Amino acid sequence: MFNKTKLQDGVHLYIRKTEQFKTVNVTIKWKAPLDQKKASERTVLANVMEDSTKQYPTLSSMRKALDELYGTVLFTDVSKRSSQHMVSLYTECVNDEFFAGEDIFKQLWQLIRSVVFDPNVTNNAFDPDVTEREKRNVRDRIRSIYDDKTRFAQKRMLEIMRPDHPASISAYGTEAAVSEITNESLYATYEDMINNDLIDIYVVGDVDEKEIIEQIKQFLPFAARDAAKQNELPDVKVSDSVNTVREKQDMKQGKLHLGFHTPVSFHHPDYHKMQITNGVFGGFAHSKLFMNVREKESMAYYANSAFASHYGIVYVTAGIDADLEEKAVKLILEQLTALQNGESTEVELSQTIALLENSILSANDSARSQIEIYDQYKELDENFTAERLIEKWESVTLNDIKDMANTIQLQIVYLLSGKEDVSK
Amino acid sequence: MKEVNFDQLQEKIYTETLDNGLKVVILPKRGFSKTFVTFTTKYGSIDRTFKPHGKDEFITVPDGIAHFLEHKMFEKEDGDVFQKFSLNGASANAYTTFGRTAYLFSATNKLKENTKVLLDFVQQPYFTKQTVDKEKGIIAQEITMYDDQPDWRLYFGTIENLYENHPVKIDIAGTVESIQDITAEHLYTCYETFYHPSNMLLFIVGAVNPEEMMAFVKEDQAQKSFDKPEAIERQFPSESKEVDVPERTLTMDVSKPKLNIGMKCTETNLQGQEMLETELSANLVLDSLFGRTSAFYEKANAEGLVDESFSYEFSMEEGYGFAMVGSDTDEPERLEKLIRHTIKDAKTNWPVQDEDLDRMRRKKIGQFMRSLNSIEFIANQYTRYEFNEMNLFDVVPTLENLSMDKLKQAFATFSDDDSYTIFKVMPPKAQ
Repeated sequence: MFNKTKLQDGVHLYIRKTEQFKTVNVTIKWKAPLDQKKASERTVLANVMEDSTKQYPTLSSMRKALDELYGTVLFTDVSKRSSQHMVSLYTECVNDEFFAGEDIFKQLWQLIRSVVFDPNVTNNAFDPDVTEREKRNVRDRIRSIYDDKTRFAQKRMLEIMRPDHPASISAYGTEAAVSEITNESLYATYEDMINNDLIDIYVVGDVDEKEIIEQIKQFLPFAARDAAKQNELPDVKVSDSVNTVREKQDMKQGKLHLGFHTPVSFHHPDYHKMQITNGVFGGFAHSKLFMNVREKESMAYYANSAFASHYGIVYVTAGIDADLEEKAVKLILEQLTALQNGESTEVELSQTIALLENSILSANDSARSQIEIYDQYKELDENFTAERLIEKWESVTLNDIKDMANTIQLQIVYLLSGKEDVSK
Repeated sequence: MKEVNFDQLQEKIYTETLDNGLKVVILPKRGFSKTFVTFTTKYGSIDRTFKPHGKDEFITVPDGIAHFLEHKMFEKEDGDVFQKFSLNGASANAYTTFGRTAYLFSATNKLKENTKVLLDFVQQPYFTKQTVDKEKGIIAQEITMYDDQPDWRLYFGTIENLYENHPVKIDIAGTVESIQDITAEHLYTCYETFYHPSNMLLFIVGAVNPEEMMAFVKEDQAQKSFDKPEAIERQFPSESKEVDVPERTLTMDVSKPKLNIGMKCTETNLQGQEMLETELSANLVLDSLFGRTSAFYEKANAEGLVDESFSYEFSMEEGYGFAMVGSDTDEPERLEKLIRHTIKDAKTNWPVQDEDLDRMRRKKIGQFMRSLNSIEFIANQYTRYEFNEMNLFDVVPTLENLSMDKLKQAFATFSDDDSYTIFKVMPPKAQ
């Protein structure tokens, strides 16, 4: 899939040469241990780096340069995976072949260089106005989760289920930690990220591999760093009792979120079996939750399960009439009990395998998806291919589903609903 | 089967209109693993007053029926269609807009089997009182879900402000009350009127052999019998150029006020190339007035009047159109003033220079090329363009030829003082 080149200790390049797309994608990922303070600093830093550089000292001049380059895309984002925090720089430009003599790709490298190695910094500090503005933007982004009641309910459920654990730490950090950021601390975070983070660089498109390696050596001279550091997830305390939490806001629908623990997580040998089990439970429109909670009882528009594999969490979300909470919880748990009793069918199993296959093969049709999937799965297997994973899925049996379902243990029932019955 | 080459874009499409009137378009994509297929009828939430197939009198049907019909197409006498798609490894879905209802799947396997499932389920309606009543609970929860989404309320609230009579002001899914009136008979009436093949388009894009696929679809359609195509008569109320409500505020449990400005487009009977030019021009005007390189954005951003939620858009269909500019903001009054000032000022002091136009043109061309990496974009947009007598692949040559005058004309269609409305979503305390 990707050809790997080691550029330095802790700095790797992955190239996928393909003529499938009309663009070339270059993505850089910086990875460091996750904590709330660091996440806050790095989120503001990502915004500040995207805003301007020494060469393009205002947002407007920066964006004009990108527009001139046939609408070249350049943006940063942050995310987390297990106990790691990631800052990603995403760029994409149109293939040179469409516009003779323009040399777009080379100009993209110069822009990336400018963003990464030549930020808008004077005397070891970023522009104070930009820093303050982006602190405010990140603060508002954290606050705005409140406006999206589904996301808010999910956040609350995780905070209660896994307090002070990477599973519930936001990749954006916290309002309090954002407010404490200074120009100097932000610059220190920048230096730390550029010099000490693990770095993965991805290039997907119709490119010459040798040329790319030369260009990166020229434009992105990252130094070697300690590649061994990895921090482990803290242990979780599994509870034998179920925590029931109800919270209220001014809203109409009841947002029901159930959190379950499973010891089977991403690095566990049975990981692929749990993916199938989640699919039969509630991952698709043929799944037990959709067929029973939505289609049979007409109780919900959405009723799904998901497997947060890095944290060993399975969760169910459903939008319901809050008065029917008890009935909905009972119905959802009945579907899990059915799996635990071995009441899934060959049809459900083959439907689930077919749709998981479809989704991983479909990811080949987007450069971004290829990068994201490979970046995750290469931790399990450097020679990861979709075909290898599909082989594993195809070997899963009905008995495996039963075994997997029996590791799933309810920890919390969380309901966010209206203060009074405004829906009637 | 007709072949059309777009050399500049390195794309080739194959099209044919079958004997029953169905238009089929196929676009093979080099290197793709999956195929994306959409089967779309030119029928959406605004088509509420029409002459039913074979009848002479206009009728008006309950609000939300096109969307309700979309849901009910998936249930058959022998069960749920999703079950069949899943067995064949296809991920299926559907959506209803103001003017279209689309059924779709994507699959990396069994393309013919899945296409057959798609054609069959959309072309064989099955509605009973029992199945219709059962759906009401599900759709009521869907409506309630959207009711709790402030950005959704802001967007549709703005449209409701803009229009006095046109059904674009009615929620696509209807209301919990209006869907109670929907019956199986209604669904059959709408189905028979709007789901004739001559009102539909099948688009197949991705890993596909065009000759084989066209033959397969033709054979399938030849085996099914349809009435003769009939022209569909829809009726729309007259609509003045002024907005219906100039300002409205909704209180919701949000962390920060939300402001949206709507501008009603006065030119609403365009189709074809003229529509394409107007739409692209209006987008370029909005880019230069409000984009990240604009004087407006520089000021609003520096003063903290906008945040990452800031956005703007232009939307145009037959019969209605509007521009919108909005953001979450702590100072809705100041932001509103700045937006209004930017619009007013542009009327006397045209802000777009030739170099700006060139730069934005390059940007849009690059953006368009990039979007051709997405087979979902191609299928959905091609269909929308075709229903408006435009061709998606004319975008680049049209952009290359857009003049400054055209931009000014497009701006004039939505910058009347009377066409301007404000919608706000405010947190409870700020009231």
